[in-house]
Amino acid sequence: MKVYSCCGHETVVKRHYCPSCGSSEIEEREVPNDGTIYSYTRIHVPPVEFEHIAPYSVVLVQLEGTKAKVTGRMTEEVTIGDRVQFAGIDNGAYLYKK
Amino acid sequence: MTKTYVHGVGMTKFGTHADRTLKNLLLDASRQALEDAGRPKVDAVFVGNFLAGSMSNQEILGAIVANDLGLGYIPTAKVEGACASGGIALRQGILGIMSGEYDTVLVAGVEKMKHARTPDVTQAINAAMDTDSNEKHAGLTFPGFFGVLAHRYFHETGATKEHLAMVALKNRENALQNPLAQFQKPTTLEEIIGARLITEPLGLFDCSPMTDGAAAIVLSRKPSPIHVRSSALVSGPTQMQDALDLLSIPAIGESGRKAYEKAGVGPEDIDVIEIHDCFSMTEIIAIEELGFFPKGEGFKAIEEGHTKASGKKPVNTSGGLLSRGHPIGATGLSQIYQLVHQLKGTAANQVNGARMALAQNLGGTGSYSAVHILERV
Repeated sequence: MKVYSCCGHETVVKRHYCPSCGSSEIEEREVPNDGTIYSYTRIHVPPVEFEHIAPYSVVLVQLEGTKAKVTGRMTEEVTIGDRVQFAGIDNGAYLYKK
Repeated sequence: MTKTYVHGVGMTKFGTHADRTLKNLLLDASRQALEDAGRPKVDAVFVGNFLAGSMSNQEILGAIVANDLGLGYIPTAKVEGACASGGIALRQGILGIMSGEYDTVLVAGVEKMKHARTPDVTQAINAAMDTDSNEKHAGLTFPGFFGVLAHRYFHETGATKEHLAMVALKNRENALQNPLAQFQKPTTLEEIIGARLITEPLGLFDCSPMTDGAAAIVLSRKPSPIHVRSSALVSGPTQMQDALDLLSIPAIGESGRKAYEKAGVGPEDIDVIEIHDCFSMTEIIAIEELGFFPKGEGFKAIEEGHTKASGKKPVNTSGGLLSRGHPIGATGLSQIYQLVHQLKGTAANQVNGARMALAQNLGGTGSYSAVHILERV
């Protein structure tokens, strides 16, 4: 997964300019896709486009070797601290599994 | 600098208005505010609204207000900022007066949501996320974001679902005394904790409802007993995965700091507060961000009753979004409606001698936060 960093802020969200120093020279590097659950929710009342897969977990994964976190989706139930593995991209969503 | 004062307020009952149109609600609240202000000549209209286009196929709300109330050929605009639409519309009105362009402005907010199915409303509200992001495709929702935040808050502070329930119960108890509130049935901590789950750990009572309703305010440069001491607006992160600290909503903290600075006051000077409790968890984060209680300790203030109408920092004496209701575009103005009544001494759950009041209106998951400080003069 790509993370972007400048002035100590590391994020998976790409910016045109650094919010701290204004530079357009934002460092880009690859980090492993796997990580641990930083926090999570289990969605029982979804928007209409996700009704067919509910309930599902939306997870905030602390990636390895970076301060950046990434939002993903899991079918399994999880808790904070669980190790999770990247399981591919589905229609723009990052999928994870235990 | 030109000062701004509140001259009139109006508000419909919040709840289900199956037999009334969006326009009918909007004009009702606007007319009430104009009558309350003594029918002044209005120089401009700003309308806060989020979903009328997608859910009622209705735009041009500013022109409708000006035309149907016979206000003449005056400038009008609709203002959109998700759930902060009302607060941002209010700020546009204040800026219009401060600039010297207008003497008197009508600001109204409206939403009609109850005619649609929950999944369809949830989908429409998701327009307030960054829809060109992996996060939206993951199936995150607004209650989902605050569910993720709540689990981490519990993990780091030791707070529990019972603390969330205490927020919901307090706001329900306040709503019981407010005839314009959506929910007026008593409840208990047990019922709140046992309610069906929406986005874990949030249950039904932790989430603000879908609501029909409208609210309106008349502002003027001419003096009145209610002075708008400051107005602040800030944009913040639009994605959960981009937050520096998940337990902070920087737009709330920053808008609060700016509002205090402009007003020359601090959190210790505020007597009564309306906060954007779109979820019970949000109220706890907001009372921390606005400096009323230390970071990570907001839940203890709830537990100790400090935010009750009788407490040292009364929060959401109207019932808040959770129980007064949350007709999105009207919410920011209904907060002002309650605070103006508090400062006049005529509010539901009146706080004795209230002189300085603060309203905080949030949009998205922290994409916008508007703070207004009002003062009785």
